[in-house]
Amino acid sequence: MESSPTEAPPKQVAVAMDRLSNAARLIADIRIGADRILEALFIAAQPHPCNKPLHMLIKEESSMRQRFQDLRTLGKQLEDSGVLNSSLRSRSKSWGLHMPLVCPDGAVVAYAWKRQLAGQAGASAVDRTGRWVEVEKRHDLKAKITFCLRIWQVPDRLALKAFTDQKRRYFPDLGDEPSSEESGVSKKHRGDQSSVVVKRDDLSEVKTLSDVLVRLEKEAPNVRISTYQRLDWLKRASSLSSSNENLTEPNLNKLGTVLTGNMAKDQVAVVELLIPSVLRAVISLHPAGSINPDAVSFFSPDEGGSYMHARGFSVHNVYKHITEFAAKALQYFLSTEVDMGLYLLLRWICSYQTLFTKLCSKCNRLLSMDKTSTLLLPPVHRPFRYSSDTKTSSVQSTNTQSVDLTTAFHIVCSLDEA
Amino acid sequence: MTIKWLLHWQPNAGTTVNTQIHTEITQCVESINGVKGGRWKATFSYYRPIQRDQTMALPFECSRDLMGISLQEQPNKLYFVIRSQRIVLEADSMIQMIMDKLQSYRARGSVTFEGYQYQFGDFQLRVGKVIPNSQDNLRGIVLEVEYLPISSLDKSRQIMEEFLDVWQETVSKRSLPGHFMHIDPNFVEYGLSDHYTSQHTAIQYVVVMGQLLVAAKN
Repeated sequence: MESSPTEAPPKQVAVAMDRLSNAARLIADIRIGADRILEALFIAAQPHPCNKPLHMLIKEESSMRQRFQDLRTLGKQLEDSGVLNSSLRSRSKSWGLHMPLVCPDGAVVAYAWKRQLAGQAGASAVDRTGRWVEVEKRHDLKAKITFCLRIWQVPDRLALKAFTDQKRRYFPDLGDEPSSEESGVSKKHRGDQSSVVVKRDDLSEVKTLSDVLVRLEKEAPNVRISTYQRLDWLKRASSLSSSNENLTEPNLNKLGTVLTGNMAKDQVAVVELLIPSVLRAVISLHPAGSINPDAVSFFSPDEGGSYMHARGFSVHNVYKHITEFAAKALQYFLSTEVDMGLYLLLRWICSYQTLFTKLCSKCNRLLSMDKTSTLLLPPVHRPFRYSSDTKTSSVQSTNTQSVDLTTAFHIVCSLDEA
Repeated sequence: MTIKWLLHWQPNAGTTVNTQIHTEITQCVESINGVKGGRWKATFSYYRPIQRDQTMALPFECSRDLMGISLQEQPNKLYFVIRSQRIVLEADSMIQMIMDKLQSYRARGSVTFEGYQYQFGDFQLRVGKVIPNSQDNLRGIVLEVEYLPISSLDKSRQIMEEFLDVWQETVSKRSLPGHFMHIDPNFVEYGLSDHYTSQHTAIQYVVVMGQLLVAAKN
């Protein structure tokens, strides 16, 4: 059942989406299977002899084999239809579809959507399938168990979540029945060693968007934060021009608000952080009203235009570089702290107040020639990794560099630091 | 508006500026991989009040040092500066016609700044020759350094100073008889704010002209 290029593009997308859902379901089943195998081993290790573990193992092994076979087939189908490789890029605009620039909920679609959809869940699953196949060939039960222990502790929960989120967002009518299943499974595994949840007593009350903003206002009083519904932000961005910021502010304040009262809190999808005279950061929240940031971009405070959104890029090199760096920081904040991502991101952005004044902590200069682009740039890197000083139950050790919010590095200098 | 610093070439004592130096400086810009853009031009004019009756003295409030600057980035505007009283004014370019009709002031001489502009990352550099309109010889060399991302004078000061250091280092390798100088006019005295505007640029041109005149006299 290969999808041929002559099929209508929306059908191809739907078929690919279906396959990816199946892949996700299979992955979840495989994890449950691995759990059962471990349980069987545990029982077998008990002093009381019993035949039960043997039966369980035999049964589980055959169903696991079947599942992996299915996953392999699915992976092959996805590969053939071009979802997992870059063959689509050679054909213009992915199956001839002209992606809508603005989705039903007002979100702007970026080119990377299909990579995000397909790559994270599908590709990593196929990759792990391949590795399992090799282990399987060795007929070594011990190796298989070790493999399970190591591989399934990788937090692919995040990949699955991102995948289902994206699917729900861009194709809301395709139905999302696997998601409830997955979240059920992932919740079951959350308590085990693979989760990296860090509890901080002092930050535990930052649960809603209002909390985050109120707290940030206290910590960084000279930074202006406003929230917008998505379409309102597009209007504001288009009317921001290179004329004096003070002139445009009063007219457009009606659109944004520093989250007072209960003005459509559940529809807030864009957070704008303005450090006067330094930069303007645009953060997109998904789903609207949550505290889950999914993209951030930096611009000059004087810039304006419809390209100014959380996935756009500034025309100036300095902000472009910060945006690229911020993507990594965002991933880090999302992966280490549950529900703290937005707060940490905003706080980290505030550390850029000194963008044009703070000297690089390594070479002690402000401007430095960036070797790859031969541009003179100020230190655009601010460190974002930090240590948690409370107990964690993580198997993977967290980074132990302490965050010093007052350090800054040039791109070149930070490469040496890392 | 983006930040601009206007630098002028200060020749060493006893030497004068010439086209050779201008060529060397242009090569300097090109050597740091500045991407050549289009031409740029600014015009500077002296205005003198028109006296109908030559025997009477000029009224007290008539200014003798009115200077007008027209900038390429604002083609419809004309900027007036009275340096002695720290006044800067942005006017529509129609004001020329009005002044002619009123017979109040007339342009008595003008100087052109012109050259090519270069893009260098977030910076834009404009190397210019200073040529009086009545003559054809080179009277000076200016360099306009523009930093595009921000428009706060305060925030950009360090960046501009460091750029200047980098630039001076590059130029000094050529062992030219002179160096670039930057004079920081006190914009506050003119009533201007931290946010950079074309009025700031106009004042910088006036200041530089003043320096070039002083240098020419010596």
